[in-house]
Amino acid sequence: MVEIGYAALFLALIAAVYSVVAFPIGVRRGRSALVESARNSLVAVCGLVSISVIALVYAIVTHNFQVEYVATYTSSDMPLNYLLSALWAGNDGSLLFWAWILSIVAAVIVLHRRDIGKELVPYAASVVMATQAFFLFLLLFVANPFQLLSFVPAEGRGLNPLLENPGMFFHPPFLLAGYVGFTVPFAFAIAALWTRRLGDEWIVAVRRWTLLAWLSLALGNLFGAWWAYVELGWGGYWAWDPVENASFMPWLVATAFLHSIMMQRRRGMLKVWNMVLIILTFTLAILGTFLTRSGVLSSVHTFAESPLLGTLFLSFIGAVLFSSLGLLYYRSEELRGETEMESLLSRESTFLLNNLLLVGATFAILVGTFFPVLSEAVRGVKISVGPPFFNQVNSPIFLALILLAGICTLIGWRRTSATNLVRNFLWPLVGALALAVVLFAVGIREWYALAAFPICGFVLATIFYEWFRGTSARHRMRAENYFKAFWGLITSNRPRYGGYIVHIGIILFAIGVVASSVYNVEKEASLKPGETMTINNYILTYEGMDNYETQSRQVVTATLSVSNSGEPLGRLAPEKYFHRNFDQPVTEVAIRSTLVEDLYVILVGWDADGTTAFKVLVNPLVNWMWLGGIVLVIGGLLAFWPERRKPVAPKTQGGEGR
Amino acid sequence: MLKRKQFLIGGLVVALALGFLLYNGFTGAATYYYTVSELSALGSSVYGENIRVNGKVAPGSVEREEQGTLLRFSVIDADSGQGFPVVYRGVVPDTFKEDSEVVAEGYLDSSGIFYASTVLAKCPSRYEPAE
Repeated sequence: MVEIGYAALFLALIAAVYSVVAFPIGVRRGRSALVESARNSLVAVCGLVSISVIALVYAIVTHNFQVEYVATYTSSDMPLNYLLSALWAGNDGSLLFWAWILSIVAAVIVLHRRDIGKELVPYAASVVMATQAFFLFLLLFVANPFQLLSFVPAEGRGLNPLLENPGMFFHPPFLLAGYVGFTVPFAFAIAALWTRRLGDEWIVAVRRWTLLAWLSLALGNLFGAWWAYVELGWGGYWAWDPVENASFMPWLVATAFLHSIMMQRRRGMLKVWNMVLIILTFTLAILGTFLTRSGVLSSVHTFAESPLLGTLFLSFIGAVLFSSLGLLYYRSEELRGETEMESLLSRESTFLLNNLLLVGATFAILVGTFFPVLSEAVRGVKISVGPPFFNQVNSPIFLALILLAGICTLIGWRRTSATNLVRNFLWPLVGALALAVVLFAVGIREWYALAAFPICGFVLATIFYEWFRGTSARHRMRAENYFKAFWGLITSNRPRYGGYIVHIGIILFAIGVVASSVYNVEKEASLKPGETMTINNYILTYEGMDNYETQSRQVVTATLSVSNSGEPLGRLAPEKYFHRNFDQPVTEVAIRSTLVEDLYVILVGWDADGTTAFKVLVNPLVNWMWLGGIVLVIGGLLAFWPERRKPVAPKTQGGEGR
Repeated sequence: MLKRKQFLIGGLVVALALGFLLYNGFTGAATYYYTVSELSALGSSVYGENIRVNGKVAPGSVEREEQGTLLRFSVIDADSGQGFPVVYRGVVPDTFKEDSEVVAEGYLDSSGIFYASTVLAKCPSRYEPAE
């Protein structure tokens, strides 16, 4: 099976290269047979890479420890679900997974029947196959997952117990699928430049692909944050680690892209800008894939340093940037905007500012992430900037972005008169100010919270106000009941209302982030059995320690009984695991989670006399983040859901887009 | 063209604000990042400054006291084996162990002891085998 897996990759590389060349030549020369063969060979790539994946999974499941990858990441006592996750647990396997998803995506592109943009498909497929060829090359010659050892180890090293969490099934694949997904919009953009079909076709063709990749990346990061929170036991969910940043940057730029393509579709503006954004998104996605593997930046997430792999990735990124920006430069004359900005007080302005801020935040994160490398190159010393830098720079930017989401909801395209503005914004603004006063009255004094919560309230108010007006208009005009009118409103323009729901999700998320970072309380205490500690209104009494063995590990449990303002809440039992075949303890935190706050207890250590050290945190509103994540996914799926086909509306139709 | 000017000014204001935020962030949060041998070579010139240092946990040097909340170990250069002692108070990450790579942030005091406020350990499972 192992030989079959490797041979399949080899054949896939040949087929991919054939597709890269045959697609454009076939179309240019009008030889449909050649195009047809290129298409078949692309589908063959998908089949071959799938065979290769099956071969690796087979080696993993049958414990073929002669395969280095299998010996490194699995052991014979692992349950089947974690065995399957070993496919993406290591460098080589995750690259194969990358290539596999890309080959599936490529097959979907060419097999999917589309009305708009079908002339672009052969060229886009050629670009996707070029990317595919790069990854296949890496798999064959630099990061071969089928590498055999010269001997057969009796047992594999197994999965690190820290990775034994459901997060392992969701976080890596969603993240990787997000990265891979951005290849599609990039490929269509290049196809548009290549063929000079520079109208809206490519934008129409890629909107839903971009949304899917964006959603997948968002989910991947949300799963990662949740995983870090419940498993890693430091009480946080985001550390501005280089690898985390690497996955955040393409997401931010893709967010900008998803907004700015609306400007092109409605007003024919920002054509060059859209090209730049999608080129950047793709480059950053590749950079993200690369950063986890390069050893350029020190991070807790990285794989081993592999200079050759790093060099190849950097060359690929360089080639992508150079050739696509070069192509863009040659076509820039044909990408002139069709209209000019009309007024500062318009939805266009808010979109423009939104784009500037998103790209600005990305730039800040990029500079911060690479600062050690940059400072070493310029001044010969490595200077790093930690989380305070990223928080300090980004918190005002993100606050401004959220505020913009509120303003753009109620501001019209083209231009808005002052009276219109007052009429639309009066009530949401009054509501936000009232909220600020209430928050101040109940004792909230930190300026960031005092600014952030009312802004979030303002945006929510604008969205609900817009929904209310739309619903009551339908209610009056169509004599529908309110529920039906509301449903009709939402489904009449799914991308738009899905977008609003995503905004609501982001706001819930932001409220959780602000509350849990401004108002978290932490306390460390060493307790003997029977002793108590207090944190906020919680009283924790240490009852004692227990110790038991399971087949694979020894478990130490410390039990605390918890009460809040005198009301008993039961017990919490933070634990530490000591695995027999892994020289590393695993700290299992105990969390009592409510919509208001999380009580988070970490078992730090103990002495022989029974004194036990705990770290206890109270993190407010953390569940709002996960809730926001769910809302975001619902909104994203609504916006993604295919619409029934209907004639395209003329794009100069102004007003508020209804 | 008045419109154009308005937008240019608006963009400029945004760019300046971003620049200010970046500058402010850097002056507040920049930390020198050294390897163990670089830091040892600098010696007394960096006493008391906030520093990040990257090295290897010396085998056999780890001591845990006070229910595991006080950690002492030596961080060394992987090649030369030279290094200095580190003291850290707080929750030790699970991935921390002897002979693995750590990044510690803190300051070096005049007695040559590094007082760390954070200790990050590289996750060993994600490593390829070293050989």
